[in-house]
Formats: sequence, C-alpha cells, structure tokens
Amino acid sequence: MPRNSATRNNCAQLDMSESVEFPLCPVPPVYYERDSAIVHSHFWPAEFIDLAQTRAIPEHKLLRHTGIFCEDIHRPDHRICPEQLLQLIQNITKNTSADDLSFLVGHQLLPGKIAVISDQLMSSTNLDELIDALVEHQAFLSPLINIRRCYEGDELVLYWQDACGAEDSFIFLVEALTTAISSLARWRSNSRLPWQFYFSHKAPVYIEQYEVHLGGNIHFDCQRNAMVIHREYCYQPWTKNTHTSVENFLAASRNTVNIPTKGFLAAVYDYLHSNIATDPNLEQTAADFGMSSATFKRKLKKHHSHFQAIYDQVRKDLAVYWINQEGWSSEQVAKKLHFHDVANLRRAFKKWTGLTLLAARS
Amino acid sequence: MLALHKWKLLFLALAANLALVGSLASGDIKTTSEWNWLDIVGEGGLALLALIWLLLILHSRPAGRVTQFLSLGLSAVFIAGFQDWLDEFIYFPEGALWDHWIESGFMPIGLILLTLGIYHWHKEQLLITEQLRKRERLFREHRGLDFTTSLSGAHYLRVQLQHELAQGNQENPLALVLIDIDNFAQINRRYGNREGDNLLHSLSELLLLNIRRNDLLCRYAGDRFALLLPNTGKLMANTIAAEISQAVRHFAFKPQQQQDSIFHSVSIGIAFSCGQTAEADTPDSLIARATQALLHAKEQRDSQQLRAA
Repeated sequence: MPRNSATRNNCAQLDMSESVEFPLCPVPPVYYERDSAIVHSHFWPAEFIDLAQTRAIPEHKLLRHTGIFCEDIHRPDHRICPEQLLQLIQNITKNTSADDLSFLVGHQLLPGKIAVISDQLMSSTNLDELIDALVEHQAFLSPLINIRRCYEGDELVLYWQDACGAEDSFIFLVEALTTAISSLARWRSNSRLPWQFYFSHKAPVYIEQYEVHLGGNIHFDCQRNAMVIHREYCYQPWTKNTHTSVENFLAASRNTVNIPTKGFLAAVYDYLHSNIATDPNLEQTAADFGMSSATFKRKLKKHHSHFQAIYDQVRKDLAVYWINQEGWSSEQVAKKLHFHDVANLRRAFKKWTGLTLLAARS
Repeated sequence: MLALHKWKLLFLALAANLALVGSLASGDIKTTSEWNWLDIVGEGGLALLALIWLLLILHSRPAGRVTQFLSLGLSAVFIAGFQDWLDEFIYFPEGALWDHWIESGFMPIGLILLTLGIYHWHKEQLLITEQLRKRERLFREHRGLDFTTSLSGAHYLRVQLQHELAQGNQENPLALVLIDIDNFAQINRRYGNREGDNLLHSLSELLLLNIRRNDLLCRYAGDRFALLLPNTGKLMANTIAAEISQAVRHFAFKPQQQQDSIFHSVSIGIAFSCGQTAEADTPDSLIARATQALLHAKEQRDSQQLRAA
C-alpha cells in the first residue's frame, strides 16, 4: 500500500482503501527535456558569451557545435535548449585555463534578467522567501541543475539534482549555482551568512577559488552536493531593498516563464523519491510517466542516464538521510528500501557511498 | 601577430618559388628509382622545421630588430634547406653553380643572422626579466598566469612559499600578506565583469608600484591578492601593509560609464613564518593563518561600520 501519496507529482489524494492496481499517479509528472527550447538566450547564454569575450575566447570556438548564433542572443523571445547550453559551457571550459569562470558567472547570475522574477527575488524579506522564489522559478534561473529544498532537523538543506544529463559540466554548474545563491543571499542580507558547503567531488587544485568566492566552511568528498544553513537564519528579516530593475531587464508576463519547473532526470528522481514505499520498477515508472518502457528507456538514454542509476541515487540519498539524521537501524532501512536482509543493504551501501554502514553512522 | 609580418612571408614564398622554377628550368627530373629516401626525409625535414620555427617566432613576436634578425636567419636556413631538398629530385648540369651557391652560401649566412638575433633576444630577455621581477621569483611558469592581471596564481604562490620556507631559518623570517578588496562584488554587480577586471588590473599595477624589488605579488583568487615578503620582520611587514592600504584608499578608479571616480579600501591579513615553533610551517598552514587574520580584519571592519551607522 503506498504510504506516500505522491503529492509532489500533483496527484490527487488517493483513497487509501483503493486497490494497488489503481494508478499511483493519474497525472503524469511534467518536465522539460534536454532538447526543449526553454533556456532564455539573453540570460545564461548571454552571460557566458560576455564572460568568454572578456577572456578573449574567439567567437567561432565559443559557439562551435552549439547551433547558437551571436545575433540571436539578445533577442528577447529567443530560446535555446539545455543541450546547447551544455555544449556552450563545454566550449568555454575547453578554451580557457582559468578556473574561476564558474564562480564569476555565479556572482553575476542572480537576480536574473526578467523583471517579474528578479523583482520577486529582490523583494524577498528573508532567506526563506528568497529560496521559495528560487525554487518556483528554477527552470528559468537554473535550467541545467535543479534545486531540491528540504529541512533536516534544525537545518535548511539545498541540494542539486542533475536535470538533463550534465555529465562533465556538473561540477561547473554546482560551483556556479552555489556561488549565485550565496552571493545573492549575502547581498540581500548584507551579511556573511554561515553556510556550510558540501561537495561530492575531491578537493580541486583550485581550492582557493572556493575559499575566496564562497568563504567559510567548505567540505569535499561528501555524499552529496549541498548547501546547508541553520533554520534560524531563514526568518531573520532583511532590510527593504532599494534595487530597481535596470533597463536591460525584460518586462515579461508570467506566461513567458510558465514552463515545467524540473528537468526530466530530476522529475524521475522526484517520482522515485516519493514512491519509494511501493518499490518502484521501470515498468510502473514508465506507465506513470505515460509512456511505454521502451520509450522511457530511450528518453533516459537521451539524457545520458538509465533507470538503475537514478534509482540507486535515490536509495543512497534516503539511506544516508535515514541513518545519519533519523538514526534508524540498518534493519529498518533495509526494510524500507526493500532489501531482503541487512547484508544486501550493506553491500549496496558500500557500492553507492564507498562507506560501510558503521562508518556512515559515525 | 602573423598579419604584421605578411610581407616577410610573401617574400619568402616568392623566393622558394623562384628556386623551384629555376631548378626545374635548368635541370632534369630524376626518376623514382633514383630517389634517396633518407636524404629526402632528412633534408626536407630540416627545411620544414626551419619554416615551423619561423612561423612560431613571427606569430609570437611584434616587429622589431630582434624579430628581423631571427626571421631573416631562419628564412635563409629554410631556403638553403629547400634547395638542398630540391636536388634530390632534380639533376643539375655540371656547369650550373648557382644551386650549389644557394645551398652552401645561404646556410652559414642564415646561421650567423640567427646567432645575432638570439644574442639580441638574450639582451631583450634580461630587460624583460627585470621588468617582471616583482611578478615572479627565479622561476618562470607561464601556464599559471592570470589573464586579467598577468600575475601568477595561487599554485605559483604555493610553490614559491615551499621554496622560501625550505630555505628560511630563524634569522630570515618570511611574511605572507593577503589583500582583499572590500565590497568588490558590488562593483562587479553594478558595473559588470569588464569594469571589475579593469579595476583588478589597475590595482595590481598599483600594488606592484608599492612593493620592494624582491617581493612577489600573486593574484590568489577573485579579488584577493597575495604578497610574499622574504626576509621581512613584523615591523616592516606592517609598514608595507599600511602603505598599501593608504595607496589603495587614494587611488581614484574611473569606470568607463560614469564621470565620478570610485574609491576603495582593502582588508589585509598577515602571517609570519615562525622558525621557533615545534612544527614547521607549510605553504597551506601559512596561507590558512593569513586567511584567518584577513577574516578577522574584515569582521572588525564590519562591526566598525555598524557602530558608525
């Protein structure tokens, strides 16, 4: 019996006494794909192209294989798809040895260039409202990696989900978005907030960039990419903002920003996360996404992923959370994640995290 | 850069063509069976390499005397090699001496010109090294060079710190100064990355003017500069830090978009290598201590501003 009523996927609350065959999710989740034209060209792409020009990267190298034309970039109605943006990022990193570009872009990115959104971000009166606005407009503000917000104990946790198969560029994007959020929060709060930053990659050689651009408490080799802050800072009131929209901001109606909030991979992750109690499998997931298993697999492949990878990621995140935060026993976790016994969980956990259950607990 | 030298290249192509046409006109072509592959590859390789060196040099250097010598020398070497290569394919009649002259005459002339060029290059390099002195210490590594300020980055700083710490002893203390521009993020937000870069560039020049001949300035990351002061005690380091702080305060930066100058202040953190403590300093521990001092200075500044407000 489903314990979690999948409200995340806009499902109507189901009567719990219904049989299990009743579809869990009558409305398929909405999402954008790798090749959906949803990225506003004058925002991320224009920001990147500006930056690349200050680094003297020639235009033909910058735009190679992206299908982007320079004259389109500043057209207000022009859109590109996530795939093109990823290619643009790859071109930039390939053509420069500088390791601070992700951080520089991050500082410039928010509040963004669409009037309604930036006004909402800038008029937020505390961190909680700011994060609300970010999550609401994340498809526009952060189309390539999506934000997942949750509360764990006394802490607000923001962590990053791959939306469309970022692969090698994932670290670049995490650096950029982490900088963007901490930079905007610092500006609005007019103080250095005591964030804790967690990164799943090893400490890079350019660790000084993290120190200077993010400051403070940075941890590498962690189980997830996240930024964490104590809840008390979420509701500290901020002074009223005197910022007015600059003229190159676009006055856009809410319609133009009305796109699905999450990318395909993030939508699948969310679905699995919400439905873990039903021991989801590929067939059921595909059906709930409103397509055949073959189509579903093909779509995952298009996004450089596969079902097992996302399912493992979900189970890993849940296991780490239950063990670390909730202090559950291994038996409880094994049962929740539908493992036959603790030995199987132990093996899988070692594979996902490189840690033993005991080490994860300490 | 190559566009600067297009006449040189055009002339060289013309000369090579003349040699080819002249050889074809005066001699007979050898049959394939008479070709000596070792000579073809060897002599052709020399000509080709000379051409590559020439292109690399022309591509990287502005016009001037040194470039003139180097390119003339390499051109002559190329022509000699090219002619040498041609006679692997062409019989020259006994009486024709000119091909011999080109082969054997151009080579020594070319090498002499090249030597002259390298000698002047050496003198020029000494001058440039003197100019770069405050940006690098005894060791050159172009790969870590920062695009915006032409200073070396944090990696170079760590290598130099390692080097200095290994040499240092109690009599020769070492000071590391971290300099952070206050409210730099706002400049970037307000005027854009380009103005931010301009400011960083100007400030790096300003800092270079305010340090001693043997000091080393690096761009640590973002808006943070690192200054390595060898053989410097507490008193001297504090004086230099105060001077820098003064200089930055009085520097009137003019953004392109507006008439008014904008003024800045910096926060400074200093750490000293201490020979007497039990555990020796590493570059990272020294940087960490300087960072702590810097954050402390920033906090003090913030609280002072709050009190003032």
